[in-house]
Amino acid sequence: MIAKIAWLNIWRSRTRSLVVISSIIIGIWSLVFLLAFMNGQVNNYISSIIENETSHIQIHTPQFKEDFEVDQLIPNADQLVAELGKSADIHAATGRILLNGMLSSSAAARGVMVKGIDLRLEQPVSHLQEKIISGQPIGSGRKNEIMLSQRMAEKLKVKLRSKVVLTFQNISSDITTAAFRVVGIYKTTSKRNDELYAFADIADLQRLAEMPQGSAHQIALLVNDFDATDTLAAEISNQHQLLKVETYKEISPDLELFNSQIKLNMIIMTTIFMLALIFGIINTMLMAVLERMKELGMLMAVGMNKLRVFFMVVLETLLIALIGAPIGMLLGYLTTQYLNETGIDLSTWSEALEEFGMANIIRPFVTADTFFIISIAVVITAVLASIYPAFKAIRLKPVQALRKI
Amino acid sequence: MERKKVIIVKDVYKTYHETKVPVKALRGVSIDIHQGEFTAIVGPSGSGKTTLLNLIGGLDRPTKGSIVVGDTDIATLSDNQLIDFRKEHIGFVFQSYNLIPVLTAKENVEFVMLLQKQPKAKRDARTAELMAAVGLADRMDNRPSELSGGQQQRVAVARALAPKPTFILADEPTANLDSKSTADLLDMMAKLNADEHITFVFSTHDQRVIDRARRIITIEDGKVLKDEWVQ
Ligand SMILES: Nc1ncnc2c1ncn2[C@@H]1O[C@H](COP(=O)(O)OP(=O)(O)OP(=O)(O)O)[C@@H](O)[C@H]1O
Ligand SMILES: [Mg+2]
Repeated sequence: MIAKIAWLNIWRSRTRSLVVISSIIIGIWSLVFLLAFMNGQVNNYISSIIENETSHIQIHTPQFKEDFEVDQLIPNADQLVAELGKSADIHAATGRILLNGMLSSSAAARGVMVKGIDLRLEQPVSHLQEKIISGQPIGSGRKNEIMLSQRMAEKLKVKLRSKVVLTFQNISSDITTAAFRVVGIYKTTSKRNDELYAFADIADLQRLAEMPQGSAHQIALLVNDFDATDTLAAEISNQHQLLKVETYKEISPDLELFNSQIKLNMIIMTTIFMLALIFGIINTMLMAVLERMKELGMLMAVGMNKLRVFFMVVLETLLIALIGAPIGMLLGYLTTQYLNETGIDLSTWSEALEEFGMANIIRPFVTADTFFIISIAVVITAVLASIYPAFKAIRLKPVQALRKI
Repeated sequence: MERKKVIIVKDVYKTYHETKVPVKALRGVSIDIHQGEFTAIVGPSGSGKTTLLNLIGGLDRPTKGSIVVGDTDIATLSDNQLIDFRKEHIGFVFQSYNLIPVLTAKENVEFVMLLQKQPKAKRDARTAELMAAVGLADRMDNRPSELSGGQQQRVAVARALAPKPTFILADEPTANLDSKSTADLLDMMAKLNADEHITFVFSTHDQRVIDRARRIITIEDGKVLKDEWVQ
């Protein structure tokens, strides 16, 4: 019965209740959207790093990572790639040769890391083909083709079909030069990477650096189940004890830091939103209690004890919040879903974003735990907001409450 | 036949200190009320009628003196015990704001029984019986706002009677009613008093109400001036 009274009381001042419910709806709606947007941004950042840099898992020889020595090759890497590629847990696998060197055109010279890739295997890992803005990918069958980033091409003042000369150390530490023809210009979302990497065919680099066929410095893997990355890496590491197997978290520890920072932000933002809501709710409930003084006095006179009066006010507040919160969350969810499909185009600010390696299109998304946290926060907020008005209510003395006309 | 005393007010003083000058609202009042009385407390405005009823009803505490209701000296009860005591033993009818506006007449009558955790079947039977007794069997599902002032007061009487209290206190129950509603309400209260020996103590200014009382206690300046039985 008290629950029923509490519920019906809400609708006595319809407008006032609707105003506070609307503010809860709007508050939670924007909170969900904001969190979803942050998620989208982080996801963008992380997936762009995974795609362009770390993959999910990378395999090297233990020494390679320390000094990038040319001779730190994984023997028979192609067999390992083929073997891993067949695993049901692994989405894609590819081997790479990484050569540090100097790339020069007739106009300029730049330090470079040339990645020797097998385009067919590389494509599902880093989606290189989608990043080509002019020309074609390497691997047409002709020898010594190279793909440069747009930035690199500009710095070297070269165009498609231009020739560039790569100077590097071969496996016996002899300085070697080779001429490459620019067949494609690409652009990723990361300015930093674009200033560093160029792509050539793995077979060309193996031959020019006098490396054994099928060898590679690096094997990059994408897994099927992102959450199983750690266990899978441990498994591979067990089977290949001579190799160093690392997950994206180990390769780029800041990603993990970024993730926990985001969780903290989410809690801080939720708290700020709830603080903004709490005063509106307190105000509304205080009005509701004060204008019902006589009635509350009567209820206490006829035997409704303080605990029940207190509980009634708390319940009334909770119900108001529980009407608003689900609607706000639903609207937030629908908005997020819609914008997730269409994407939010931030190309206006793309210059700044590229510095951070972020893509222009943000796809906001929310996870179940976001709603869980918001729900709990709403309940806590409502209960906190109801305490002061509820105390006001039980401090009333029935005689005084009834006397005032 | 000597009837059981249900209320014993003994040398009660009440001074309000809430204002700058303390107000002596009651100055030595002693009254006994017996089971089955139909008693009016009358007196000019400000004489202390409401104060006295509030003290008897355990809504406030006397400055001095004792009030025994049934067998309980209510001064010995804590605030929370007092709330429970009121719930079990005293039925209130106020001048206004008697009913919970969001509930129907039936739910209002049921309310205190719900607080007492009485089973549904018992509540339903008692509610139906009381609504019939106050002549509103057909208005069970109306909200207070859909009832006239007189009908609302009758629901309030039914509500007050629901937990079978020792007596009913009514502070100017007819002050907001027209003469027809006043007469109806009094008829009903007198009938309950005659048929079921329910004790009524009410305060009033209204001569028509005073005329119906069987005992008239007149207070003035916080003291009992006259205490007369009407045949
Ligand atoms: N809470 C209070 N604080 C201060 N003075 C009060 C308070 N309640 C009542 N009084 C004073 O006590 C005196 C008695 O008041 P009370 O309400 O009991 O009179 P009453 O006989 O019921 O009057 P009425 O017929 O107008 O209802 C009055 O002088 C009133 O002003
Ligand atoms: Mg009065």
